[in-house]
Amino acid sequence: MAGLELLSDEGYRVDGRRAGELRKVRARMGVFAQADGSAYIEQGNTKVLAVVYGPHEMRGSRSKALHDRALVNCQYSMATFSTGERKRRPHGDRKSSEMTLHLKQTFEAAILTQLYPRSQIDIYVQVLQADGGNYCASVNAATLATIDAGIPMRDYVCASSAGFIEDTPLADLNYVEEAAGGPQVALALLPKSDQIALLEMNSRLHEDHLDQVIEAAIKACKDIYTVLDQVVREHVHEVTTLLGE
Amino acid sequence: MASVVLSEAEKVYIVHGIQEDLRVDGRGCEDYRCTEVETDVVSNTSGSARVKLGHTDILVGVKAEMGTPKLEKPDEGYLEFFVDCSANATPEFEGRGGEELGTEIVNTLYRIFSNGSSIDLKSLCINPREHCWVLYVDVLLLECGGNLFDAISIAVKAALFNTRIPKVRVLEDDEGSKEIELSDDPYDCIRLNVDNVPCIITLSKIGCRHVVDATLQEEACSLASLLLSVTNRGTLTCMKKLGKGSLDPESIFEMMETGKKVGKTLHIALQKTLEKEESLGTTRQKVGFLG
Amino acid sequence: MKETPLSNCERRFLLRAIEERKRLDGRQSYDYRNVRISFGADYGCCIVELGRTKVLGQVSCELVSPKLNRATEGILFFNLELSPMASPAFEPGRQSELLVKLNRLLERCLRNSKCIDTESLCVVAGVKVWQIRVDLHLLNHDGNIIDAASIAAIVALCHFRRPDVSVQGDEVTLYTPEERDPVPLSIHHMPICVSFAFFQQGTYLLVDPSEREERVMDGLLVIAMNKHREICTIQSSGGIMLLKDQVLRCSKITGVKVAEITELIQKALENDRKVRKEGGKFGFAESIPNQKISAFKMERAPVDTNDVEEQAEEIITKADPPSEVFAKPILQTPGTAQIGEGIENSWGDLEESEREEQEEDNSDDATTSGVQKMETEEISGVSKTKKEADTIILSDSEEEVVVVLEPEETRKKTRTHTSAKQENSSSKKTFNKKRKKKRTTH
Repeated sequence: MAGLELLSDEGYRVDGRRAGELRKVRARMGVFAQADGSAYIEQGNTKVLAVVYGPHEMRGSRSKALHDRALVNCQYSMATFSTGERKRRPHGDRKSSEMTLHLKQTFEAAILTQLYPRSQIDIYVQVLQADGGNYCASVNAATLATIDAGIPMRDYVCASSAGFIEDTPLADLNYVEEAAGGPQVALALLPKSDQIALLEMNSRLHEDHLDQVIEAAIKACKDIYTVLDQVVREHVHEVTTLLGE
Repeated sequence: MASVVLSEAEKVYIVHGIQEDLRVDGRGCEDYRCTEVETDVVSNTSGSARVKLGHTDILVGVKAEMGTPKLEKPDEGYLEFFVDCSANATPEFEGRGGEELGTEIVNTLYRIFSNGSSIDLKSLCINPREHCWVLYVDVLLLECGGNLFDAISIAVKAALFNTRIPKVRVLEDDEGSKEIELSDDPYDCIRLNVDNVPCIITLSKIGCRHVVDATLQEEACSLASLLLSVTNRGTLTCMKKLGKGSLDPESIFEMMETGKKVGKTLHIALQKTLEKEESLGTTRQKVGFLG
Repeated sequence: MKETPLSNCERRFLLRAIEERKRLDGRQSYDYRNVRISFGADYGCCIVELGRTKVLGQVSCELVSPKLNRATEGILFFNLELSPMASPAFEPGRQSELLVKLNRLLERCLRNSKCIDTESLCVVAGVKVWQIRVDLHLLNHDGNIIDAASIAAIVALCHFRRPDVSVQGDEVTLYTPEERDPVPLSIHHMPICVSFAFFQQGTYLLVDPSEREERVMDGLLVIAMNKHREICTIQSSGGIMLLKDQVLRCSKITGVKVAEITELIQKALENDRKVRKEGGKFGFAESIPNQKISAFKMERAPVDTNDVEEQAEEIITKADPPSEVFAKPILQTPGTAQIGEGIENSWGDLEESEREEQEEDNSDDATTSGVQKMETEEISGVSKTKKEADTIILSDSEEEVVVVLEPEETRKKTRTHTSAKQENSSSKKTFNKKRKKKRTTH
């Protein structure tokens, strides 16, 4: 978009944030009673719901069961009214399949699947409103949902996106910044061990700037981790009070 | 429909309870569960609504787009429905598993809205034969706890009530080519009149009595149910029988009377809630799923 | 058809070899296989061979009406197909996860990085634009499809010429190749993908994994870069956990590799252009080498046989006696015989399986050397082996412990007149003959 400054001279972005600032994150666990685990997260205007079923017996073909660990089955779907232009198919197209694969890969690395051989864990993510950072919000929501379901994980999986404009790395891009076409990095991190579960980059970025951008993304992930951790603790506190311990 | 496994003893318990006008959760046969309705949940739609009826959770988004009117109705806009049974509700709906149920719901919705008096389609017309508003109503099924059709119809009515269609002006050029101009003011919009939009009431026959708003367990006990579409004045616009069992014509008449009565009360309650929400305006705190 | 599973032995062998920084084909950790680029007779058609992985790329163009929200840009369409020709594991018609992954990666690498100027593909804004379609077919799968495919795609795009178009007012004229020379596409830069395979939770890292290595790897990191050291795409897949330093190290290696490959591509394009200009032969028919043996000749190599006997004596005196004493064969039933006790049972201890493989090899060598020693012993005239030569019967086992039989007379004859080398070859020939015999009977 010509004429739209993504980073003003004073250092403010389109929505008034600074370069390294995240959008407002609000989350809630235990949204649905029927699923084993569910969570809802709002990152700015991006709203994502995640639901976890499992671990349960293999549905469908038994032949796909793994003898020594659990199978993680994901589905990423966007509501037809979630994007600015109406989407025809909620899932099944190439982009959704790719996101599904990425989610599966991320959570296979994080969940302790060796504890549940021959079983299946389903993670379903539904994007209600898409305003940039869809994959990252999905990963964060799915982490909360998995914790809500009580499935053991190595660590939280926190994801954040980062971009690079005028020699400044930006954290947590929104839709306008993503659509501008500049370089964007999506990173899923296990915060305690600094291990990267998924790294994805689009558009052109010079090799020398790669370090800065990845650093900005890692920092943003760690900030999200503090928020998610607080949400989990509050939720557990609430639940134990209701149980009347 | 999401299936739930019930033992014989549980079924007997439910049936006997209903015969005494006492349901498992303490309701009477004609009582609805506690319903939460909230509008304007998704911001990049023209209108949206979320309905939580017990364990059933529905999210409806309405997007208004410009299109060409249908050939047989050149001076009217139209509605397009789409139902997405998401895998959130139950793992059986993953991939293409929810398509069957989705198509069934879509067909029912089309039938109800094909009646010309339910919604004023002429107000959706911009230029006869050339431009009109097309309303894409997308229903997202998030959780399935029984009584889907009722919840969906309430949500659709609430979403249509919440829909704000921007006003357009048609400018005629000298050469006769028309230009569409969207008004700049985001609050300058037309609203739809949803007074005549009917609501669906599902009556399930369990034993020899019928109940309104069946839960999943109660649906598993009933062999036949009757789907009625009732307007706020109590007129029946559409009727459909579901299920494997058979219904006696006597019981059908009884169910229709109950349906009309319940429908009128439902409409009054819904209208009150929607107007109250509307009156709060911008001071209303949007809760959405965070509440 | 389902893919043949990899046995545990092979898997362990590969992993151990990688730990010792050895690869099956002898490359170093950061070495690429040979890249060969050949062009077809038409513009825009090329075959890229990366080792044995072959990808065919074909570019075609068409005039279409543009997308509604991008009225002044041309359309790029990429399609990679994994045909069953490449590997029996690929089934036709089924869109697998691998296909989605590869297609999306190619799309992101080539489209999002804006390597082609789409604005230049516009003919009449909002009415007619060029749609460039790149079709890639995998012809043989030997690992690292993505690298080969990305090279094929960019080479094909660089090689392609589209028909010339001129616009005068409202009139658009499309010239055929005969009227005006076709015009090349305007390409800003050439993004090339480089894949890194990770093993043992990221401890070991290999560039350009072959198919076997891909099967045992933990995860894959693909970095696409152009020669100006701009990263176009990064994608990590598989369940590996990366550290930031690993990613930065990989990006440095990518820079080096991409520079080499880009140079290669430029040279290949230059060659093709020269050949076409000079009117020489070009096209696939010329590029596939004739693998016919038209003449086979081995040169005579003179061998010094003067001091064979002294050398043999030396070897005998220095050598230890054969570790295995070949006992008399025990005849169990007519047709089967047993010589010796056989080697140790290797099924019990799976940890030592590789060591035992080596042991077997050693024992193999021991037996062949034993055979030679037996023969050399007979030179010195020990005749007690006469009996053994008569009674040793070939065992029916599939093991390579084969004792070669030859009547004494011919042996003695050949020994005195032949050199040490030919001795070996003769023994090996008989060795092989016996093995071949076994094969035919089975």
